[in-house]
Amino acid sequence: MRYLMTTKPSDAVADENLYIEMGKFVEELTAAGVLLATGGLEPGGVRITSAGAEITVTDGPFAEAKEAVAGFALIEVRSKEEAIELARRFRKIVGDGESVVQQVFGP
Amino acid sequence: MPVTDAHRTIDAVWKLESAKIIAGLTRLVHDVGLAEELAQDALVAALEQWPESGVPDNPGAWLMAIAKRRAIDHIRRSQRLERKHEELAHELEHPPDSAQGSAQDSAQDDVLRLMFISCHPVLPTEERVALTLRLLGGLTAKEIARAFLVSEQRIAQRIAGAKRTLAEEQVPFELPAASELAERLSSVLEVVYLIFNEGYSATSGDDLMRPRLCHEALRLGRLLAELARQEAEVHGLVALMEIQVSRSPARTGPSGEPVQLHEQNRGRWDQLLIRRGFTAMLRARELGGGPGPYVLQAAIAVCHAQARTAEDTDWAQIAALYEALARLLPTSIVQLNRAVAVGMAHGPQAGLTLADSLTTEPALQSYHLLPSVRGDLLARLGRHEEARLEFQRAASLTGNIAERAFLNGRADELAVTGAPGITLAKAAQDFLRRDDLDAETIRSYGQTLRRLCLSLGDQLPLTSLTADQVARVFATSWGTAAAKTWNRHRSAVRSFGAWASVDDLAAGLDRRAETRPRTEPIGPAHLAVLWNRPDLPLRERTLWRLLHESAAGVTAVLSLNVEHLDLDDRRARAGGGTWVNWRAETARLLPRLVAGRTRGPLFLADRRPGPGRTPAPADLCPETGRRRLSYERAEYLFKQATKSLDPAGNGYTLRRLKPAPRMADQV
Repeated sequence: MRYLMTTKPSDAVADENLYIEMGKFVEELTAAGVLLATGGLEPGGVRITSAGAEITVTDGPFAEAKEAVAGFALIEVRSKEEAIELARRFRKIVGDGESVVQQVFGP
Repeated sequence: MPVTDAHRTIDAVWKLESAKIIAGLTRLVHDVGLAEELAQDALVAALEQWPESGVPDNPGAWLMAIAKRRAIDHIRRSQRLERKHEELAHELEHPPDSAQGSAQDSAQDDVLRLMFISCHPVLPTEERVALTLRLLGGLTAKEIARAFLVSEQRIAQRIAGAKRTLAEEQVPFELPAASELAERLSSVLEVVYLIFNEGYSATSGDDLMRPRLCHEALRLGRLLAELARQEAEVHGLVALMEIQVSRSPARTGPSGEPVQLHEQNRGRWDQLLIRRGFTAMLRARELGGGPGPYVLQAAIAVCHAQARTAEDTDWAQIAALYEALARLLPTSIVQLNRAVAVGMAHGPQAGLTLADSLTTEPALQSYHLLPSVRGDLLARLGRHEEARLEFQRAASLTGNIAERAFLNGRADELAVTGAPGITLAKAAQDFLRRDDLDAETIRSYGQTLRRLCLSLGDQLPLTSLTADQVARVFATSWGTAAAKTWNRHRSAVRSFGAWASVDDLAAGLDRRAETRPRTEPIGPAHLAVLWNRPDLPLRERTLWRLLHESAAGVTAVLSLNVEHLDLDDRRARAGGGTWVNWRAETARLLPRLVAGRTRGPLFLADRRPGPGRTPAPADLCPETGRRRLSYERAEYLFKQATKSLDPAGNGYTLRRLKPAPRMADQV
C-alpha cells in the first residue's frame, strides 16, 4: 500500500549535517525499494479555485503559509505502522516540525 | 502505549529490519538457522520490553545489540570459538562508526550474501521461496502459508528443511565466486520472479496476502538491484516486474473478470511504475552484454508500455524479441506467446501454424491458454465453428471462474447455425451411465474419456470424431506410458466406439506388448574398472560387491541387519525372509564394514539424522546413532560414481549390478 507523507515548512535552518543524514536516509529507503518518489515544493505556488462556472487563478504567496506543504515522499509499505515508523525516523532527522501521513488509494 | 499498538509497531520494525539483523548475525555465527533463532530472541525481548518502555530511538540497532549479546552468550556456552568470541566482544565494546561508508557497505553485502544463501541451488525451489520470504521479507510462516494456499505446518517444514540442508551441506556465507556467479544469480532471480508470479496470478476473490507477494517480490528485486548493480539481468527482472505490476489496476473489470492486454484501459496503467520500469531497463542496457531472458522479457513489456493504444503496438518488434527469447528459453509457454505475437505481426495464419505445432506438446495438454489462443486465431480466419469449440475447451480447462465465464462468452459470440448433433461429452456421459459396467470399469473408462473430452473439447460433435484425432491424443497423453496403461485406454476407446457405432475409433492405436524390459546388466569391462578404483569408500565397495555377487534385490540388501549376518556360511536372511548369499570378495569386505558392531542396520548413512527427522527404531543403529542408508542416497552415489562409465552419461542404477542370468536359469 502507498502512503504520502507531506511535511509543513519549519523555521529550523538546515545545516550541512542534516543534508548528509537526509541523503543517507533517502538512499537507504530507495535501496530497500520503499521510496517511490520524493521532492520539495516551492513556497506559495499558484492557487486555482472554481465557483460555479468561474475559475480564479491566484499567484502566491499566501497568508496561511504555515498550512502549506513544503515537501513530500511517496512510499510503498506493507502496513500503516511501517509508514509511521519511517515518518518517525524522518522527523528525528529533520527536528521540530510536523508531517502528515495519508494512505493513497487508486490509481 | 497500548500493547496491541506496540505489537503492530514491533511487527513493522521487524519487517523493515529483520533481513539486516539476520544477515549480520549469520556473518558472526555462520549458521542461518541459529542466526534467525537469535534474531527471534531479540524480537521476543522487544515484545516484552517495548510496550513498557516505548519504542527505542533506533529500533533496528536495539534489536541488533540484543541479538549480538545472545550470539555471544551462545558462543560462550558452546565454548568452541574462543577467538571469535574475543573478536565479538571487541566489536561490541568498540562498535564500528555507523557513519562510515564501509560499515554500511558490509551490512548491505551481508544482506546480499543472505539472499544468495537462501536461494542456494542446493535447496529445492519451494524451500528457497519459503526461506527467502521468511529471512528477507520478514514474513511469518502463517503469512507465507496464506499467500501460497498451503498449511502453515508445511511452510514451517520447508523452512526447517532448508535450514537443515544449509547446515548439513555447510554452505558458506559468502558471495559466489565469479565462475559461478551467473548460475547462482539466476537461482536468486528465479525465486524472486516465482514469488512475483504467484502474487500476479491471484484473482480478486483471493486472500489479500496473495497479491501482496507481488510487492514483496518487487521489494526484493529493487533491493537486489541496489546490491548487485553490475548485473543487467537483475535490472531486467526489476523492469519486467515494475511494468507488469503497473497494469494491475487495468487487469480486471468491475466484476473481477480478466481484461486482456489489448483491451485494457491504458489510462489506468500506473505511469509511476512504468517510468521506474523504463529506468531499470536503461540501467540494464547501459551495462551492455548480450540480453538475457529477463532483459528480453522486459523489452517486450516496454514495447507494450510504450504503445499509447493497442493498435499502436509494435508487434513486429515483439515477435522478433520472442524469437530471441525462444532461443534462450525454449519453453512451450514462450512459444505460445510467440505464436500470439506472430499472429499479430504477420497475420493469423502464421500464428496458427506456430500454435498448431504446439498441440502435441505434453506440457500444454491441460493449459487453457493454448485452445484460447487457437480459438482467437481461428476466429480471425473466419473459421468460427472450430474457434467456438476451442473456446469451449479452454473454458473447461481453466480453474478461474471469471476466466471461464469470459471464454464461454467468446464461444457464445460465435453462435452456431443449424441443429447441433450429439456432442462428445454427452455421448461419453451416456456411455458411462450404462448399468452393465462395474464401478472399477466405469472409473477406468471415465479416465480415458475425460482426457479425450479435455483434449478435443466437450462440444465436439460425435460425428466428426476421427481415429486420427484419437491417435493424436493418445500419442501426447500416453505415448510414453507403460504398455499396460496404453492398452487399458485403448480398450476403453474400442468399447466406446462400438457402443456409439462410430467407425473403428482405435484404428490408429496398436496394441502394445506388455513385457517388462529386462534390466541390462553392466558389462564385465565396466565392472572391472569399477572394482579397481582405489578411492572407493568401504561401504560403497561392500554394497556394490554384495549386490553383484548375491543378485539379490537392492531393497533386500539395504534391509540387512548386522545380527542377521552369517559370516561363516556367507549368507543372511533379509526382511521378507529371502536369503541373500555372497561369495569371496564380499566375505573379505564384510568384517571390516561390521567393525565390531553387533546389531542394527548393516549399511549406515554418513550422518546422524537431523532433529526434525526421527527414523523408525529399526532403521537406527543403537551403537552409532546413525540411520540406515536410504535407497535414494545409495542410488545417487552409484550414479555419481558410474557417470563416466555410462555411455548415456546418466550413471548406472544399482539394479544393473545384478549379473545376467546364466543359461541354465533361463530354461
